[in-house]
Amino acid sequence: MRDPAVETRDLVKVFERGRRTIWQRLRREPDRRDRFRAVDGIDLRVEAGEIFGLLGPNGAGKTTTMKMLATLLIPTSGTIRVLGIDPLARPREVRARLGAMLSGERSLYWKLTGRENLEYFAALYHVPPAETTDRITRCLVAVNLSDRADDYVERYSTGMRQRLALARALLPDPPLIILDEPTVGLDPQASRDLRDRVRELRAQGRTVLLTTHYMEEADQLCDRIAIIDHGRIVALDTPAALKRTIRAEEVVHLEIGVDGDDAALLERLERAGTVARHERRNGTLAVTAHCASARDFVPAAFDAARSTGTTIRHVEVVPVTLEDVFLALTGRGLRE
Amino acid sequence: MNLLAADARAFFAAARKELRQQRRYPTLFLGLLFWPVLLPASWVLMGHAYSGNDPQALAAFAERAGSTNVAGFVFVGYAMYMWLSSLLWGVGTSLRQEQVRGSLEAVFLTPASRLVPLFGPGVGMLIPMSLTFVIMGIALWLFFGVVPPLAAVLQAAVVVALGMPALYAIGSLFAASVLRFGEVGPVVQLIRGMFVLACGITFPVAMLPIWAQVGAWLMPPTYIVDDIRRILLRGASLPDVAPDLAIVLSLATIIAVLAVVVFRYLETSARRSGMLGRF
Repeated sequence: MRDPAVETRDLVKVFERGRRTIWQRLRREPDRRDRFRAVDGIDLRVEAGEIFGLLGPNGAGKTTTMKMLATLLIPTSGTIRVLGIDPLARPREVRARLGAMLSGERSLYWKLTGRENLEYFAALYHVPPAETTDRITRCLVAVNLSDRADDYVERYSTGMRQRLALARALLPDPPLIILDEPTVGLDPQASRDLRDRVRELRAQGRTVLLTTHYMEEADQLCDRIAIIDHGRIVALDTPAALKRTIRAEEVVHLEIGVDGDDAALLERLERAGTVARHERRNGTLAVTAHCASARDFVPAAFDAARSTGTTIRHVEVVPVTLEDVFLALTGRGLRE
Repeated sequence: MNLLAADARAFFAAARKELRQQRRYPTLFLGLLFWPVLLPASWVLMGHAYSGNDPQALAAFAERAGSTNVAGFVFVGYAMYMWLSSLLWGVGTSLRQEQVRGSLEAVFLTPASRLVPLFGPGVGMLIPMSLTFVIMGIALWLFFGVVPPLAAVLQAAVVVALGMPALYAIGSLFAASVLRFGEVGPVVQLIRGMFVLACGITFPVAMLPIWAQVGAWLMPPTYIVDDIRRILLRGASLPDVAPDLAIVLSLATIIAVLAVVVFRYLETSARRSGMLGRF
């Protein structure tokens, strides 16, 4: 059995909120800053050769976890092994074997060309001089940027900059690549393109660990996903297995016109399926229900509406997604 | 390629990157044409306005400064000022720009030594600084008719080269604090002002009170500027200033070690607090 590419145990990162002034420090006043657990006991095991996703809303602790793996942050407690190496004890060895794309297009030098950016980082990654030109050419080909390599980065589109950042992550020829929100801010075509590149990395035998808050991306791309919320992993499995956990085949979104109390209506709907979420706004009750079959649930919903004197205004039936899994697990949507 | 050679290559790549970026803003080089001439020239003209060519006034100046060559004295002082200013601002500003741009994290994700982003950009400033010195030399010759002997100029260049590590270390010491405090511009202003006042940039150190003179001789720029003046204006040679240069190199070592220690400490602190990616 191969060693895992990444392994964490009870990983915790606590940040202080607020400020402690120099005056307070000089007077040795007690530190009254709030402690905020950005990562709260994460256990992860990412197998070599897989695409592993950390899926969660903004602020869930995904980026903090990635930064700890990449040696940019020191954990408050817990252990980490990256490619079998402890990044706290031997950070340079981890960095030499890790390709990382954390802050995407911002992390490039816009007044340099794509090739000049890679030349600089090739030196920082200690790529031997004799190999540098070939390595850069290969990385540019891998992200489909060869024809624009000698343009200034400031003339690139956002998608091209993201691809250049990915090319930079490939410079050390790493067995493990970590990508933080790689497609954020990209148009659909550019996102598809980048996802194709990520699949190619897996085909080359590399391990990819990525964070995303796009459920479609996690679903399409990842072999396994850890759903993360408030710094904790709330579920971890393959996308298909995660979707099976909510014991539903379909999801029905209803918009119901309601004047009075909606308790009786919700109770009737609960009998036909699982009401995962309901929200009332301006006389409209929006309901998301999980059910085995919409063919059974929708007529039952209309019966329930009729019997409680309400009107169904809109019905939408969709397959189960990871958004529904997240909703079922946390009671909130991924984008809230 | 061993680790040291790999880091040395990364170091020069950082300097090359800085130079490439500077080259893409050619208007920045316009400043190199004006300030090195206008600033010292205004002080020289002010000196002439006070004393003209009155032999008594010049003798009084020579007694304190060691030379009657007011223009040479001020231009050498200002060359030091521009040099110091460039390193105090430049290294920290470069690190700060990396932090704000988001590239500092990308640099810190690589196995290169942390000292590369700290010391590398300063090397990229050597070419603009050398240009400044040349322009000041030409201005001194064209506007004030001061032409030091070539042998003296070459010896002064050696003093500049030997003084470089010390000034570099001072710049890096302040640059390191960017990691923890982000914007350090006001502190750099204060420190630069202190150097101008204490190191004999525009007036002889002898004009300072005794206690301030003691402090002045603890600062490498005081020695460097004084040695260059002795060589260019008073006919001293390298062996004459060798003891001073030994002191400068010792101070450079101390300050460089301090800069590395401070940088390492603040980097660890930033990795704990998450300051590396914040600004």
